[in-house]
Formats: sequence, structure tokens, C-alpha cells
Amino acid sequence: MMHRLGFCAGQLGSLRLRLAGQLLPARAMSLKVGDKLPAMELVEGPEMKKVNLQELFAGQRSILFGVPGAFTPTCSRVHLPSYVRDYDKLKAKGISQVFCLAVNDPFVMQAWSDANGAEGKVRMLSDTQAIFVEAAGLSLDLSHLLGGLRAKRFVMVIEDGVVKQLDVEPDPTKATCTLADEVLQSL
Amino acid sequence: TAMTSQVKPGDRLPQVTLFDGAPNKPVRIDELCAGKSVVIVGVPGAFTPTCHSSHLPGFVADFDKLKAKGVNLVICVAVNDPFVMAAWAGALGSGDKVLMLADSRAEFAKALGMDIDLTAVLGSVRCRRFSMHVVDNVVKSVNAEEDSSKVDASSSCRLLTKI
Repeated sequence: MMHRLGFCAGQLGSLRLRLAGQLLPARAMSLKVGDKLPAMELVEGPEMKKVNLQELFAGQRSILFGVPGAFTPTCSRVHLPSYVRDYDKLKAKGISQVFCLAVNDPFVMQAWSDANGAEGKVRMLSDTQAIFVEAAGLSLDLSHLLGGLRAKRFVMVIEDGVVKQLDVEPDPTKATCTLADEVLQSL
Repeated sequence: TAMTSQVKPGDRLPQVTLFDGAPNKPVRIDELCAGKSVVIVGVPGAFTPTCHSSHLPGFVADFDKLKAKGVNLVICVAVNDPFVMAAWAGALGSGDKVLMLADSRAEFAKALGMDIDLTAVLGSVRCRRFSMHVVDNVVKSVNAEEDSSKVDASSSCRLLTKI
């Protein structure tokens, strides 16, 4: 059972990120509505396919939701299933692709996708080294529970690479505003 | 390279806490293994190809042979969180044959000198592939793969020849 978690901003303050060969301060950016997604490479699938975020979301109306961990209770029981279940409704409202992001390796993400019948509906992105969540201000230090930095629970609506909506769950152990039916109401 | 030299026969198991299925279910490995003949298998990652299709299934299949040689407990350890390890156990059908324990912060791997930096591919320090036979917390044999992507020295059938 995951406990209530506080957000410790100070712990990450001195971390320096190496991004595409350049050093950036950890507070480089916090992604907000109106921002373009960064041109970062994440990994999709056990074949370790590199995907560029800007290319992935260009010209499409997409959902990107983040979860603290594949196979963790809330993520598995409630959050991912809501997007698998409501996929057709999301498409009917003009969403052409749905992605789930986590700081988990691609083999774990694939296994989790298989266990939840997500194939053909929700695509899995591995932010394996937490570079996206750190840069976007969406990381959560879960070292004491899961062994490292993870993603906050969030959902974004992205249009042609620009963030149009961003909701972050205040309590990462719960899924309320980041569930598919909540997003559907705002589309 | 590991900061601690690799565990060898004659060493005692380190007093490290692992996790059984959830972050609030800690298990001290030395307390679990006290007074028993135990096989410990270390793997780089739950659900990774070699671990999933070759290495672990060998130990699940050879469980009865290991028991016939006096082994009381087979444990698999990886640097994954406890929820992932529990899910992997379910997917492998390892059930009551192999106990999957999470070395969430790589403390066990590091204490054994079996840590390997797989950040580029898997996102963190992980555990090398190895098998080990331990009796009453004293290491009897250690079989580490030089190449963690293969299963050769660390296989269950190789270990059976050493017990």
C-alpha cells in the first residue's frame, strides 16, 4: 500500500541533468499549458525503438498520461484501465493517439500493456532515465518505496506538439482528475 | 565495476532487507535463509528476454530436482520494485516454487559485489546474472555469468551439479 507522499523540491535542486550532451540545471523548465513538448528521445517497446517527442505528437490531437509505476496498485487497477476502456470514446472526440508514460524499462512496460489488454489502444513510453519527467517538473522521488525517481500521476492533452491541458493528481496514490472520463468531459 | 568485491564461497550473506510483493513487506535475507539450504538467483531485470524465457523457467522446472538435493528455498532477486516482481512471479507461474524478492534500491546486489550499471538500457544499476547456493547463510558456491545477457554458468542445471 503506497503511503501519502510529500513533494520534496529541495532534494532535486542540486541535481544536474545531462541532456543531449549539454548540462542543464534541474529546474530547466516546468512544462505548462501553451508550451511545446521538448525534442527529447524516449523509448517505445522491447525492440527499444527511439521516439522523438516532437515528432510523435506533431500534427495530432493526443493524450499523454503519466503513472508512478507499471504494476503498482492504483496505476493497474484504475488508471490504465480507464484509458483502455474509454479509448473509443476518446477517438470519437478527436483524439488520434493515447500514450502512457512511466519511469519503467520497456520490458516492464510491454508486460504491463499485455496484462491490461492495452495493445492497439494505449501506447507505452518508457522515460527510462526520467529525463522527461525531470525536465517537465513532473518527477516524484519514490526511492523509499519503489527504488528511484518516478513520474507524477498526470494527464496532458497535446495538439500539434503543444500542451493544451495539463492535470496533475495532487495525491499520486489516487486517480481522480487524471482518469479518462474526467478528460473526456473537458474535450 | 562493483565497489564491493564479488561474493565468494565461505562468505556470509549480508544483512540486507528485500521486499516481498509490496514496499511494506520487508524481509531480511539473512533471517529468511538462517538454518536452510537456499538457492539464490540474481537477474538483471524482471520481464527482460533472457531472464523471462530462459533463466527463471529453468529454476521453476528444476525445482523438484533441487528439493531432492536438500534445497529448502529458491529465491530470485532483481533490482525492480516489489509490485513488478510480484507481477513477474504471476506471469512466470513460479508460484510456490521460486520466491521473488525485490532489491528495490540495489542494496543486495551492491553488498554482493554483483551490481552492474545498466542505466542506458534499463534506467538504473541492476544485478548481474548469477546463481548461488547458500547453507545456513554461508555461501557454498557462486556462479556468475561474465556476460549477463547469457545463461550458461548461472543456469539451474549447472548449479545442480554443484550441490
